[in-house]
Amino acid sequence: MYFCVNRKGKYLKFIMYSYNPTYALLIFIVVSMVLFLLFRPNRGLFWKIRSVYRVDDKIVIEDILKQLYHSEDKQIGINFLVNALGYRDSIIISGIDKMIDGNLVYFEGEYLKLTEEGHDYALKIVRVHRLWERYLAEKTGFDKSEWHGIAEQKEHETDDEEAGKLASSLGNPIFDPHGDPIPTISGKIAELDSIPLSGLKVGDIGKIINIDDNPEIIYKQILAENIHIGSQIKVLENNSTRVTFYSEGEEYRLAPIVAANIKVSIVNTPEEILEDNVIRLTGLKPDEKAIIEGISKESRGDSRRRLLDLGFVKGAEISIDLVNPFGEPTAYFVKGTTIALRDDQARKILIKKD
Amino acid sequence: MDVLPHSNCENCEHFNADGLKKLGVDTTDFDYIVALAGNPNTGKSTVFNALTGLRQHTGNWPGKTVTRAEGAFQYNEKKYKLVDLPGTYSLLSTSEDEEVARNFILFGKPDVTVIVVDANRLERNLNLVLQILEITDKAVLCLNLMDEAKRNNIEINIRSLAKDLGIPVVPASARYKEGIPELIQTISDVASGKIICKPHRIKNIPKDIEEAVRILSDKIKKEFPNIPNSRWIAFRLLEGDNQIIEALESGVFV
Amino acid sequence: MDKKNIHNIIALANELRWKIGDDFHDNLAEGIYADAAEIVEDAIIDKNRDRKERLDNKIDRIVTSRVWGFPIMFSILALVLWITIKGANYPSAFLADILLGDVRPMLKSFAASLNFPWWLSGFLIDGVYLAVAWVIAVMLPPMAIFFPLFTLLEDFGYLPRVAFNLDYLFKKSGAHGKQALTMSMGFGCNAAGVVATRIIDSPRERLIAIITNNFSLCNGRWPTQILLATIFIGAVVPASLSSIVSLGAVFGIAVLGIFFMFFVSWALSKTLLKGEVSTFNLELPPYRPPDFWRTIYTSIIDRTLIVLWRAIVFAAPAGAVIWLISNLYIGEQSIAAWMIHYLDGFGFLIGLNGVILLAYIVAIPANEIVIPTILMLTVLVTGLNVGEGAGVMFELDSVNDTASVLKAGGWTLLTAINVMLFSLLHNPCSTTIYTIYKETKSMKWTVLASILPVIIGFVVTFVVAQLWRIFVN
Ligand SMILES: Nc1nc2c(ncn2[C@@H]2O[C@H](COP(=O)(O)OP(=O)(O)OP(=O)(O)O)[C@@H](O)[C@H]2O)c(=O)[nH]1
Ligand SMILES: [Mg+2]
Repeated sequence: MYFCVNRKGKYLKFIMYSYNPTYALLIFIVVSMVLFLLFRPNRGLFWKIRSVYRVDDKIVIEDILKQLYHSEDKQIGINFLVNALGYRDSIIISGIDKMIDGNLVYFEGEYLKLTEEGHDYALKIVRVHRLWERYLAEKTGFDKSEWHGIAEQKEHETDDEEAGKLASSLGNPIFDPHGDPIPTISGKIAELDSIPLSGLKVGDIGKIINIDDNPEIIYKQILAENIHIGSQIKVLENNSTRVTFYSEGEEYRLAPIVAANIKVSIVNTPEEILEDNVIRLTGLKPDEKAIIEGISKESRGDSRRRLLDLGFVKGAEISIDLVNPFGEPTAYFVKGTTIALRDDQARKILIKKD
Repeated sequence: MDVLPHSNCENCEHFNADGLKKLGVDTTDFDYIVALAGNPNTGKSTVFNALTGLRQHTGNWPGKTVTRAEGAFQYNEKKYKLVDLPGTYSLLSTSEDEEVARNFILFGKPDVTVIVVDANRLERNLNLVLQILEITDKAVLCLNLMDEAKRNNIEINIRSLAKDLGIPVVPASARYKEGIPELIQTISDVASGKIICKPHRIKNIPKDIEEAVRILSDKIKKEFPNIPNSRWIAFRLLEGDNQIIEALESGVFV
Repeated sequence: MDKKNIHNIIALANELRWKIGDDFHDNLAEGIYADAAEIVEDAIIDKNRDRKERLDNKIDRIVTSRVWGFPIMFSILALVLWITIKGANYPSAFLADILLGDVRPMLKSFAASLNFPWWLSGFLIDGVYLAVAWVIAVMLPPMAIFFPLFTLLEDFGYLPRVAFNLDYLFKKSGAHGKQALTMSMGFGCNAAGVVATRIIDSPRERLIAIITNNFSLCNGRWPTQILLATIFIGAVVPASLSSIVSLGAVFGIAVLGIFFMFFVSWALSKTLLKGEVSTFNLELPPYRPPDFWRTIYTSIIDRTLIVLWRAIVFAAPAGAVIWLISNLYIGEQSIAAWMIHYLDGFGFLIGLNGVILLAYIVAIPANEIVIPTILMLTVLVTGLNVGEGAGVMFELDSVNDTASVLKAGGWTLLTAINVMLFSLLHNPCSTTIYTIYKETKSMKWTVLASILPVIIGFVVTFVVAQLWRIFVN
């Protein structure tokens, strides 16, 4: 085994004599664990330390502006900001000082108010934030639950020119993927005519137009249910303990406080009301045939276009061709060809069983 | 001149077998550029090989060809440069995997575009065909995989298809070299202007969109009288396609 | 062109877009399909749409079934391997006979008759020619068998079914199902696999596919695996079992590669290339009987040409380098001996040796020349009497000779296993690295794709070596 011992060299000899496989392995394990603790994604010590050093005035100021903008009807003082934003007191206070110098905010008693300039600035950040969310939704594969966090970072790094480019590359969208309006450069905002789902009566039919991504715990709960913007819903039960509604072939049961974060617009024109047998493609069973009713608004950008190009258009006949050993993806037979889709896409295709 | 629908025997007698020379990769001094477009896995590369004598890779899965390949052949004293493109489902998207094909069809200015379609899946293939016909009016439809269509009992009325599409249609089984002479003859006829196409234009569009497209394309025509496919550009501008906007600005279309 | 006019047009377009609303694209797509349906209505006389009755569907139901899907996939891989191993022996021996037994003495005597100085004939014949001959004799036959078989599968239409079967695992790894296709192409050639990633339309998933393609054991590495498995692993079991065991070992390495591909894809999508999977759609084409002889013919020609070309472009210079570093002296030792000397310690730590590491450095341009380089360098350091001088790749027409050289070089079963592992887990060849750069247009990703597998290779061989020494020795 030690065939190289016969050759000279101190360093070689050192390895040969002090080498012990067990120690080598132990050293290796310790080193890997240290590296893991330092660099593991998100919670690694290295990232944490770095993020502390990264806080700069611009980010603090912009976060404060946004906070004030989103709660303009509330009374907001320094303590509230410290709690909401999670920065240290001293950082917040020095941020506010700078903002007062820059004429972005003023004190009304102990409460902070936005000046007109501050309001415009805040609106610009909101615009950039929602543009980024739209971008993430249409052009990247990031999961919905991650859009907000990424946009939260990007909004501080994007200048006006980049924002303009972003907007035009997205075709100057009016709404972000949650259904919130994106302010235009001149500060115009589309009006939302909506009521919370929890405010609907039994039997009401509505269309989901907005899902609030704040607070995150509730948003994640809604996402887990696979509830989509653009879906038609019909309320079956609404009381203080739960809201039950029917949508696209399935029944959903939510706590009222969760339902309050879903905004709907009431549908009352009879032509717009979808029949009850409109369900999601995932609800199709082998040996059944159905007609495609359309693609949910939840499918956006390139992936929506690709589905249309592949022949998943209104009126096309569809059936299941092959089921996967793992249960996913499923191969559908549509317009003479077999095409496999994963469930998260099939869920966004609406069909009508006959 | 009217559009002549082509079927097997109509062309065999015209075909001048001695006039054909496969030139392989030698693409110097060509007279015409011919593009091979079509959905994935319809036999474009097989047609390409049959025409040029090259050995471009073929394979029975969508997406075998991912880069464009060039070759040439000579027919009746004219040299044709042939470009084999990756398959695409549509020209309406902005996805990266289809960029090579989309760009060549839009900006490569081919003299003739041969659209290779799968005779077994005509309806879904027509999606792309109809889009290409909005862009160019020098096109040939190569109805490939006819052998499989026969096996599947699919009968296609070539004449009516050619009439509806307004371009010559050549049935073929590229793998068995059937229909290749007719295809060559037709390409040469379209290139030289002997056959003039009157391509189909998309009809089933909601009124308000049609109206918007008309207003916009009239405006484009007024500003750029030389652009042949103003309607297509109008479609793309309505969708906010940045690439087209850039192309307009840099004058690629004129 | 007047900029202002264009702006007018674009402004008009924006205004109209507000009017016609969000659904423009949907309406247009539906409109085109409606036109298509009308045309088809006119033109197609007999619509035979019921696929369920057809043979295609029956095959599909078997190859994607819960019970048979995976066994069929693995058996096909094993079968292809088996045919390759069995079939490559004869042409290999034949080529070695000619190139090394007949041609080389002829060249030697030709050089002698022209009075070449020793270093010139050494450099040309023992360096350049031998490297080329080795690659052709040992590497070409397995490749020229493996590749056509693979092409037949491809032509039949089996690959998309593999993608269909494996997609769930790719989804769980945060990757795109079409990566199965590029991975399969990688078994042929990693550079081709990297180019094939263009079918993946999301940039994130495409990068993952590019970076992990190297874990597909490419054609150029199969012969190394086969040779080592035959010599070392087949030898520890009774002769009657040896061929099946060595087949199993090579198969295991290939499967391990697939495992690492999933693992690294997963790790990347949790760290550097964060994000969820975007869309996946895969068209399953009908099965087509392959054009048997034509496919065999064209792919053999193709492969042969590529291997010959690579042998000349990569193996020849490498042969020259090997000869040079073995014959140029610094102090009392040749350059090669010095380098081996310094690499030995680290090599020992990871269960390899300095010769092997040096061979991998010299062989960065092409994986095919690793084994001949190892042999030649081993002879150099052991001073064995098989070769014909420093830096000469001697005539090895039998597996037994190779075995005795390697054993004389101190190889054990552990060394062989680790070389097999390292041959799977090391940097991609130069062509692949260059292709990665061309496809990603990014230095950062190219470097990552090149370094990452080596690091994994070091870690794996290190751990295996320690465990082996603790538990086996
Ligand atoms: N039966 C039959 N098979 C054909 C014919 N033409 C092509 N094929 C087969 O169809 C498959 C696809 O052919 P390709 O030429 O690679 O198709 P392509 O359009 O270039 O495909 P992409 O490059 O993926 O877009 C191959 O397996 C061919 O052998 C034909 O006329 N008849
Ligand atoms: Mg092709």
